Amino acid sequence: MNPEIGSEVRASDAALIERLVRRDEAALAALYDRYAGMLLSVLIRILRDTQAAEEILQDIFFQLWRTASQFDASRGSLPGWLAVIARNRAISRLRRHNPAAGEALAERAVTSPLNFESAMAQQQLLGRVKGALESLPKEQRAAIELAYFEGLTHSEIARRTGDPLGTVKTRLRTAVETLKRNLQPSSAST
Amino acid sequence: MNGHPTREEDFDLYALGALEGDEKLAIESHVASCADCARKLAEAEGRIALLAFAAPRVEPEPAVKQLLMEQIRAAAESAAPEREPESERASGRKWWNAVLIPVGAALAVATLLLWNENRRLDQQLAALHSSMQQQQQQLQDAREVAGLITASDTITVALAPQAGMPKGAAHVMYNAKMGMLMYDGEIEPAPSGKSYQLWLVPANGSPINAGVFIAVSGQPNHWMMKLPQGIEPKAFAVTLEPAGGMPQPTGPKVLVGAVS
Repeated sequence: MNPEIGSEVRASDAALIERLVRRDEAALAALYDRYAGMLLSVLIRILRDTQAAEEILQDIFFQLWRTASQFDASRGSLPGWLAVIARNRAISRLRRHNPAAGEALAERAVTSPLNFESAMAQQQLLGRVKGALESLPKEQRAAIELAYFEGLTHSEIARRTGDPLGTVKTRLRTAVETLKRNLQPSSAST
Repeated sequence: MNGHPTREEDFDLYALGALEGDEKLAIESHVASCADCARKLAEAEGRIALLAFAAPRVEPEPAVKQLLMEQIRAAAESAAPEREPESERASGRKWWNAVLIPVGAALAVATLLLWNENRRLDQQLAALHSSMQQQQQQLQDAREVAGLITASDTITVALAPQAGMPKGAAHVMYNAKMGMLMYDGEIEPAPSGKSYQLWLVPANGSPINAGVFIAVSGQPNHWMMKLPQGIEPKAFAVTLEPAGGMPQPTGPKVLVGAVS
């Protein structure tokens, strides 16, 4: 299912944000169609609760609607920012912290040279990210997933897995080095 | 220590949330005053954000978008500022203007302050409205769960593991008249690149998707789903499918429970 229709499919995020600032509901709908699947997927993966994930998803787009003027599309990646906010809120909820409901758009800078704007680009990225993760040794991949999807720190991962803290630190450092190398735009297959 | 991080990966580890204590504070205090490192951190945040794509793909129900669009319309209606009253009155006398202009200016300032306050209150109202909608939805969901559990025609089906498949157990509560299904189970994690998918196998016709899920060791999965009403099942089954699920089952059965 691809609900994107008409000119919204081809509009850039920056153009849609501009229209959002002018209170154009169709622009919000287009951004929702573009990124809601990605965000809901990560929310459900973290929370394992579809209803809670959908609540946060709705709240994130409502916040985007209210505070779009704070987002400088020329300086940041909207999907990157949305993914960071979604993950933070889900982990806060998982840990029963109050979600950062007032987290401003400008509060956390997120840039990415990669294009997320079309469904095809997202599909390609999905393949690259999965490929990059699968190329990691099992222990490194597990450590990355515990940190990203469960919000665990070095010492929390060490407690969870029973591995020495130094081993966990080395695993994660090596894993992010490898991911960085494999996710560079120059290593793109397209 | 407030110098540049010695290793570039520190930015990625910070974005990942793995750093803690002094290591975390050192990055935070340094990027607050170093534009170059702040840029590197933003790039690391963008890289780590890509891990969102590693989650099994789930598309939202159309109702979520509909609720969002209703929410923004409700917020727009409650936030619309009232038209400012006309402050000038007809007068032919210049001296009268000399009095009215400063008074009008003061009124304009007061009106602006009031309008700002009004807008702030409207935003609070919109947030409360949104929260109320969410609570109403939660209440509705709780009522539906209670209705499902207490209905005399709700069936409970135990799903048993199949030989050679990941170990687990689950049960499904289902009410055909209400079209409501509740799943509760625990199962070993699926192999990489695979998801579990629950199916309602009707007495007649093709299996119906009742939820794609991932399993984490030691943690149960639990959800409720609305399905078309009036479907009589002959069984429920969990199959192993490509990540994100399939329109119809293609993989092996992992848990199966027949309706007695």
